Amino acid sequence: MEIFWYLILSAILLSIGIYGLLTKRNIIRMLLSAEVIFNAALLSFLALSSIDAGYGPVGGALTLLAISLSAAEVGVIVSIAIMMFRMIGTLDTYELKKFKG
Amino acid sequence: MSLLIDPNLLLFILSSFLAVIAAVMVVWHRSIVYSAFFLSILGIANAILFAILGFPIISLFHLAVYVGAAVTFILFSLVMMREAPSVEPETKITAVISVIMLIILFSELFIGARGETSFYLNYRDLTSILLKRYWFSLLVAALALVTTLIEAITLARREV
Repeated sequence: MEIFWYLILSAILLSIGIYGLLTKRNIIRMLLSAEVIFNAALLSFLALSSIDAGYGPVGGALTLLAISLSAAEVGVIVSIAIMMFRMIGTLDTYELKKFKG
Repeated sequence: MSLLIDPNLLLFILSSFLAVIAAVMVVWHRSIVYSAFFLSILGIANAILFAILGFPIISLFHLAVYVGAAVTFILFSLVMMREAPSVEPETKITAVISVIMLIILFSELFIGARGETSFYLNYRDLTSILLKRYWFSLLVAALALVTTLIEAITLARREV
């Protein structure tokens, strides 16, 4: 199948994710939109590495590492959100100004 | 007897529709819990696409680690939180304009992308590359996951 369709699909997902990231103030909603962007990036990365058999295993290895790091990133951001909610009682990112030292 | 339609093409069409609808629901759904649920649907659709591309082990890893752990973690954390208000209408207009410009940019970039996806991941090559070429990255990823685990336990036990 043509690689073009996978890239177009990833571009659509990326656009939806960027729209969400720009229009939301809730830190968890922003994280969810960033995860949509992450999914788009993985899709285009694997689609491009599947063209050439020489790059396939490298693409696979890097994607495995990216998925593990994404799980770690989700843990860190959700922990920050939990701390934020406990300290100021909201998830509104506009309130993060109060976190200045 | 030959099939009228390629099963991979049919699967691609179904999962790409599912992925786009799930991504739209992640961003637009009013309830944040349902948004997280739709993110897991997007993860499953993406895993199907990875398998079609010839990466079945990555697909299983994505299902286990991403959908099974990360998205479920978000979903369970949402129980204790409330919704924040949306941004101002001017920011929404700017976001729509940037997204339209982004789509035009990507269409221009990808219009020349040609190539057939006929690949199947060899597990031996994958493990060899991970252990020989990317061993340090593997170590860093493992340490990052352990750090997150410790952080999650510390936060869960902390009294504020």
